Amino acid sequence: MNSISKQPLFMAILYLLAFFLLAEWLSPVIELTSTGHRTVFLVFIGAGLLLSYLKCPWWISGPLKVLYMLWAVGYIFLENSFFGEGLWMTLTEDFRKNFSALADQNWNGTTDIFRTILFFVLLWMAVYLLHYWVGFRSSIFLFYALTVIYIAVLDTFTTYPGNAAIIRVMVIGLVLAGLLHLARWSRRHGFSVNSEKALFFIGPLVVMVGIAAITAMYLPKAGPVWPDPVPYIVSYSGQGGSGTAGNGVGRIGYGVDDSQLGGSFVGDDSPVFTAEVTDGQYWKVESRDTYTGKGWEMSGEAEAVTVYTDGETLATDFEVGPEEDADRAAVSMQQSFPFALYPYGLESLAMDEGASYEYNAADQRIETFRNGEALEPTDYAAAYSEPAFSLSALRATTREDLAGLSLEFDRYKQLPSDLPERVRELANEITADAGSVYDMTAAIERYFGSNGFEYSQTDIPMPDDNQDYVDQFLFETKRGYCDNFSTSMVVMLRSLDIPARWVKGFNEGEEIAAGSDLYQITNNNAHSWVEAYMPGVGWMVFEPTIGFDGGSDIDFDLDVDTTEPDTPEVPERPEVEPPLPEEGDTGSASEDDSFGEALAAFVDKHKGKLLLVPVILLVIALLLFWQRRKWLPKVLIPYYRRKKGESDSFEKAYRRLLKQLDRYGIRRKQGETLRSYASYVDSSFGTQDMSRLTKAYEALVYGGKVSSEEWEELRESWENLINRTRG
Amino acid sequence: MTPTQQLKNVIDNIEKVIIGKREVAELSVVAMLAGGHVLLEDVPGVGKTMLVRALAKSVGAEFKRIQFTPDLLPSDVVGVSIYNPKEMEFNFRPGPIMGNLVLADEINRTSPKTQSALLEAMEESSVTVDGVTMQIPKPFFVMATQNPIEYEGTYPLPEAQLDRFLIKVKMGYPTEREEMEVLSRVQQAAPIEELTSVMTLEELKALQKEVKSVHVDETIRSYIVELAGRTRNESYVYLGASPRGSIALMRASQAYAMLQGRDYVIPDDVQHLVIPVFSHRIIMRPEARYEGITAEEIIERIVIRTKVPVQRLVEQ
Repeated sequence: MNSISKQPLFMAILYLLAFFLLAEWLSPVIELTSTGHRTVFLVFIGAGLLLSYLKCPWWISGPLKVLYMLWAVGYIFLENSFFGEGLWMTLTEDFRKNFSALADQNWNGTTDIFRTILFFVLLWMAVYLLHYWVGFRSSIFLFYALTVIYIAVLDTFTTYPGNAAIIRVMVIGLVLAGLLHLARWSRRHGFSVNSEKALFFIGPLVVMVGIAAITAMYLPKAGPVWPDPVPYIVSYSGQGGSGTAGNGVGRIGYGVDDSQLGGSFVGDDSPVFTAEVTDGQYWKVESRDTYTGKGWEMSGEAEAVTVYTDGETLATDFEVGPEEDADRAAVSMQQSFPFALYPYGLESLAMDEGASYEYNAADQRIETFRNGEALEPTDYAAAYSEPAFSLSALRATTREDLAGLSLEFDRYKQLPSDLPERVRELANEITADAGSVYDMTAAIERYFGSNGFEYSQTDIPMPDDNQDYVDQFLFETKRGYCDNFSTSMVVMLRSLDIPARWVKGFNEGEEIAAGSDLYQITNNNAHSWVEAYMPGVGWMVFEPTIGFDGGSDIDFDLDVDTTEPDTPEVPERPEVEPPLPEEGDTGSASEDDSFGEALAAFVDKHKGKLLLVPVILLVIALLLFWQRRKWLPKVLIPYYRRKKGESDSFEKAYRRLLKQLDRYGIRRKQGETLRSYASYVDSSFGTQDMSRLTKAYEALVYGGKVSSEEWEELRESWENLINRTRG
Repeated sequence: MTPTQQLKNVIDNIEKVIIGKREVAELSVVAMLAGGHVLLEDVPGVGKTMLVRALAKSVGAEFKRIQFTPDLLPSDVVGVSIYNPKEMEFNFRPGPIMGNLVLADEINRTSPKTQSALLEAMEESSVTVDGVTMQIPKPFFVMATQNPIEYEGTYPLPEAQLDRFLIKVKMGYPTEREEMEVLSRVQQAAPIEELTSVMTLEELKALQKEVKSVHVDETIRSYIVELAGRTRNESYVYLGASPRGSIALMRASQAYAMLQGRDYVIPDDVQHLVIPVFSHRIIMRPEARYEGITAEEIIERIVIRTKVPVQRLVEQ
């Protein structure tokens, strides 16, 4: 009688899972409170659980934990040597301070050291509780349920992203609960569970949990039944007005996360910068190359970053225009960004003596530095000359040229694999009559001007989980703002193999006084548009959004008429910021966990196929199970041939035969003895084999006679019978 | 000669006299082997007495017969002490119970007082007269007959006493062919006179001892207990089989296994014997009688519903 909870490996697994579950509690606390030194705390709970697992007596583990706490305090706060004299001094001093603070109920007066020690004590208690639940009670449900609630609450009310955590918690918790159930069951019934039997239980458990987790991950999820309660609570508690408006309504402005486009937004006329230019210019910040079906991301492909010094001539993807159009724009920032907003045809930037500029060819963003540190420019000048394009050259672009483009343009032709076919069909339809690549592009640019599209910032739905952002706009809503128009155009161009990218920045803004050449650009002017590559000509700007006029200048060197799109009056011209903007640096985020993102992207891309794998496996398993009567004998015969030496192999083989006969259709009734069943089996097969086997089996089971030699003689009968059941 | 062969000889011997009742003969032998007693229930004239006489002759046992009548006294059964004036003392004159094989004919026609005297002797294998206890010579085997037809002037056996019989057997009528065979055999002389013994009493005693060593596996024991337990929970049953009934079923199964040439009991043995062993131990509710449901039917139903153990109990 050896309960499974006495097996060291099994218990080790339990404690390991418990550690991961507790770590899920620790991570958000540390992240949200900016505590730092995550490893120190993780080691503490890990070591605590290890000591519990090793059944270390309290008079050893207790002092060990206290020593660790002291060391950790010294390591974190004092950065001094191990248990130096200073530590004791500081600690006693610190404790006196804290106790007097506590006595005065001055909670804010407590020091970090004191709080850290309290936190350690809390963790100690948590470790003890887990030890109790896992080691003694063999029941984790309460803790598991609390963990789920905890993560869910944090995900809802804080910035902690619980998406991955909740899946981890679910998997860890279910496996742990299942294993503990096994331990409980084994203990209650006094059954010994050896490792082989345990695998029979644990294998399916892990597979089931895995399948459940994968299925849950990819199944479509219902939208929230109630609107997000957070904004309501925030506004009710008088803390509103800081940003998010809730219910998918974003705040306008320049955003950094474009991965989820859609939804309505409200205007925001807070000023961003003023620019003194002769003509209003589009101010480019950067572009995006990967369309996900929901929004835009960067492919993460590393590209050369070129560093320029102040006043040096920059090389962008756009050639500098004719010299007679050269101009110098004076930009005065009212909001701080660590990058430069620049007009098309940029030649050079002038900020200050020590400034340097990093031009990233991947997203065409110009980051500003001074002495190696990010610089947020306040006033600067940009020398530029708006590029002009020769119409004759554009008209000479042919569809064949597209095929000859080099590989570097591939990323501008990327499209999600699940892009609805009708988007492609529409693009082909629009461009059916166009001769050149330019004509095709222009046709698509013009397409939005008519055909019932409407510019609006309000009442714009978010695409559903299984809906494509572009498809929704082109075929269902036909209502939207710049993101809808520009994204749709890029996607349609790409479906025609025309390289195109989605560009973000600001439009020309409002002239402060008529004829003053001074433009005020506010958050309302955040905008997105299209750049497309014309083979043999270069990148060109297109403006599909109705009501905007920011396309590239065309040099009408051909005597033809280019029809410009109708331009209905539109009051506001904004770009939307998603409901919960992520703070921080935009450029480096993708590099931190590029593997994770690559994996996520891969999974995302092959979602359908990956989902299909467990389904197919399940179907195969079911089919095999249903058809086991046909193939099982083929497996059983060699199996029992191999096992002939073992004493209980006959017993097992006979019972296998009973099951197989049952599947074959010869059922043994509940009150039927083996002997009468055997004679029935023999009469239906016309053999004597079953009676022979049964006699031997009876002697074994009822007579307690172990006979391993007999099996050799009986095997022929057994094989004969089991072969018959296949028919 | 193997025990099985010896027993087969006995049964064959009986069959010479009782035609077509091998089953009954087998059950009688089983009861005798297990050291129990048999209650034969049937109408007169089907050969109950003949069966007992044939059995007695086959094993070379002393055959005694007690015809129970309403005026029979206990002393008529167990014996009586009579004053011997010559020797000035009481001499015990043993009654007919003091034999190896006793036929108690029409047991339900005598008074309960006499019945209990018989049944006590059956249970204890001894009789007590005037404070003196005397052992009945072994082997001791009682076959009581009971006539189910005549209810007038009968004293049905109390339940507690029915329990003393190991098995209850019904003879039943012979088939037409068998009956013709009977007629042809008795035409010249009674075949019973020609029977010779095929086994000695000593041999019988040895066999009775050997039966106890027939292996009863734990699975079989649990099966027996399960069957007995289920008779107690049937809705039509007023009183189910007692633990004594379980013991009886096990003993009988052991004997039957030996008869079948096995030294271990299989569920088939139990199933074969469960009706003869249990049927007279179960008291049906009155409504069962109105609906014509018999104890035999109830037991059959239980056997069909009870799972036969087909593998060893899980080792713990």
